[in-house]
Amino acid sequence: MQGSSSQKRKRLDLVPSTGSLTDPERVLYNVIRSKKDMGIWTRDMKRETNLPDNVVNKALKLLQAKKLIKEVVNIQNKGRKHYMAAEFEPSKEITGGDWYSEGNLDVDFINLVKDLCLKHIMRQKVATLDGILEWSKKSGVFAVEFTTQQIEEILRALVLDDEIVEVKSTGFGDFASVPVGRVCYRCTSKGGSKGEPKAGAMASIPCGVCPRISSCTPDGIISPRTCAYYQKWLDF
Amino acid sequence: MVTQYGIKFAVHLITNHFGNLVAKVCEDLLRRGPLTLDQLIGFTELTKEQVKNSLLVLVQHNCVQAFILEKEDVGDDREGSKVNTQYLALLDNILHRLRFPKFLEIVSQDLDEECVELLEGLLRYGRLTLKQMVDRASQRKGNTSMMHELQNPVAIDVVRESLHKLLMVRYVERCPAPSPVVSSPVEKDTKKRGAKSKVANQVPETIEQHVLEAIVPVEGIRFSLMSNTEVIKSDDSPMTSEENFGKTTVIPIQEDSTLFHANFEEFIRRCRHKVLIENVRTRLDDEAATILGAILEATRTAEKKVKMENSVPLTLDTIFTEVVKTETGRTMTIDRVRSSLVQLGCPQRMLDDSYSIDLKKIIELARNEEVESIVLKRYGRDAYRMFRLLSKADRLLETDKIAESTFVEKRDAPKTLYKLWKDEYLHMEKLVVTAARQSKFLLWKVNKPILWDHVLDEMYHAALNLSLRLAYEQEKDAELLNVPKDKIVGQLQKRYKRLRNVWLLLESSLMKLDDALMLFHDF
Repeated sequence: MQGSSSQKRKRLDLVPSTGSLTDPERVLYNVIRSKKDMGIWTRDMKRETNLPDNVVNKALKLLQAKKLIKEVVNIQNKGRKHYMAAEFEPSKEITGGDWYSEGNLDVDFINLVKDLCLKHIMRQKVATLDGILEWSKKSGVFAVEFTTQQIEEILRALVLDDEIVEVKSTGFGDFASVPVGRVCYRCTSKGGSKGEPKAGAMASIPCGVCPRISSCTPDGIISPRTCAYYQKWLDF
Repeated sequence: MVTQYGIKFAVHLITNHFGNLVAKVCEDLLRRGPLTLDQLIGFTELTKEQVKNSLLVLVQHNCVQAFILEKEDVGDDREGSKVNTQYLALLDNILHRLRFPKFLEIVSQDLDEECVELLEGLLRYGRLTLKQMVDRASQRKGNTSMMHELQNPVAIDVVRESLHKLLMVRYVERCPAPSPVVSSPVEKDTKKRGAKSKVANQVPETIEQHVLEAIVPVEGIRFSLMSNTEVIKSDDSPMTSEENFGKTTVIPIQEDSTLFHANFEEFIRRCRHKVLIENVRTRLDDEAATILGAILEATRTAEKKVKMENSVPLTLDTIFTEVVKTETGRTMTIDRVRSSLVQLGCPQRMLDDSYSIDLKKIIELARNEEVESIVLKRYGRDAYRMFRLLSKADRLLETDKIAESTFVEKRDAPKTLYKLWKDEYLHMEKLVVTAARQSKFLLWKVNKPILWDHVLDEMYHAALNLSLRLAYEQEKDAELLNVPKDKIVGQLQKRYKRLRNVWLLLESSLMKLDDALMLFHDF
């Protein structure tokens, strides 16, 4: 029950147009609108309104034509048809959150943001969450404004990528500008080439990445003597 | 825990070094646990002579230890009068054979060429008396300059001094008694070890551990050069090793039958220290690495076992003194040292201002890194991120939650997680909630101890494969190796070059993989 003031105003504006609706249309519209930014699945509508299928389908078409309702994609269940009153914007539960666009995870956008944040940290050597948030707002690199939570999510993903590490400032060297004990981020020092963590001993040989290792035996059909991966690896 | 491929790889090494018969005996001991000579003959279906000779080879090379289990007083058992010597295969020592070049490298860094020569002999022959070492050194000298006879007076002193040096730094020790009487383990349920007893890493002491602990000579004798008779003589007048050394030079050594062998424990400790220091260097910085190095060097002899969970506590003053002794630590201030100690995860101690570093944590991080790099290569970047999330969380997480935190499409996440679970990289639990609507959730977790055992087994498998492939490549081009060097031209030269590259790649990969084996098994 906490719709924003703009939504309330909109709703008032829309009320007159519902006057021209038939009974089933009005019943259906009220049910849909009562679900606000969560929307409702067609099956649930039918159950709640007790209207026959053909009536509901026809009413839905007409309501859509009158631009009173819209169809939305529900991230939880993309196969199900979901409808929502036109004045609402789908909630995070429906869209999947800030990082989703049209029901899909916006991977390109996320990677772009990650990349830019990473480059910023690289330049700064050491950066705090607040510092990165501030930079994201002031630098003008981004068209949208991020929340603290969003930047936090990006940083957490970069940590999981092993691109950056979370450390506590020691107050020495690169940390000189950060108060001792503050949590900050810095780029991972890697032995390997850029972006790739140092390959472990196991990951640098064919067996380490072999999907068939469990079927490999010294004298079996798959064996180190006949192994195709080895053949390729040792092809000088 | 002994893994299946650990045994296979060990048997492969023994086959390579000592042939099929010895390997057969060794395999039975590894698979069945300690056995008597009669039992061994029964299982292997070899003749008594064959088994005996195989055992002699294995004992000589420190791969098998004989022992007599002290009989409990169960009435007047007539069988009790018969001494039953049992033989125990030492899996770790067998695997150490792969590491001999690394051990020699350590000695060549720490000590002089004579010490390297001496250790080389000990590794080649398993165990030697001082006289045998002298003979070996004299012979080598005799070979190079035929003028001198076998009795080369210089060699005796040189060998004695080298041995003394090696004993001082604990790279060599006295062999345990040939077949000591060992009391029965306190926990009698060693046989009952089932799946349940594996809980929380508290595996009850195995017979192997028990025997190994029981046979180690007393600290004072273990690294002493004194002959056996002297040990008895000087029993009640404790002397420093320096004095001992001075004294023993006077006594003729020829009759002494004391056997010495390489002390693998110390070599593994050195390898572990190196790994700890290098990991700290990449994760933190050179200063932290220098400090950890200084601490480990100073407390080396105080370490009770290889797998020390925490470094031996030292006060800040002591640490600082040790740090400035090192070349890289000379310019550090005490504040810098203190701040690095905090970085190393040491909370400042109020009581006695002593610091102890969590070494187990560093090893754990190194293991994580190795496993994660396998996950990345085998399953891709999304899987890598999800695996790291679970590994860091160290608790059960739900599929959608994992997808959200790692920026993975919710519909893709279950597939990837399932693949990891199927290959035993993840643990999964199903949760059914019966509220208004019944819903099923999948929860995932990285179970580190179980995963590490699994990865270790895969690594042994991979090591065996590398070694088998090397043998196969050599066998394939066997005739090439017999061609005189000056005849290798044209097409032959191309093949020769390829073989050399293959050889180098396989050998170096095996050595690198062996570092990982040590990381998961010995550290």
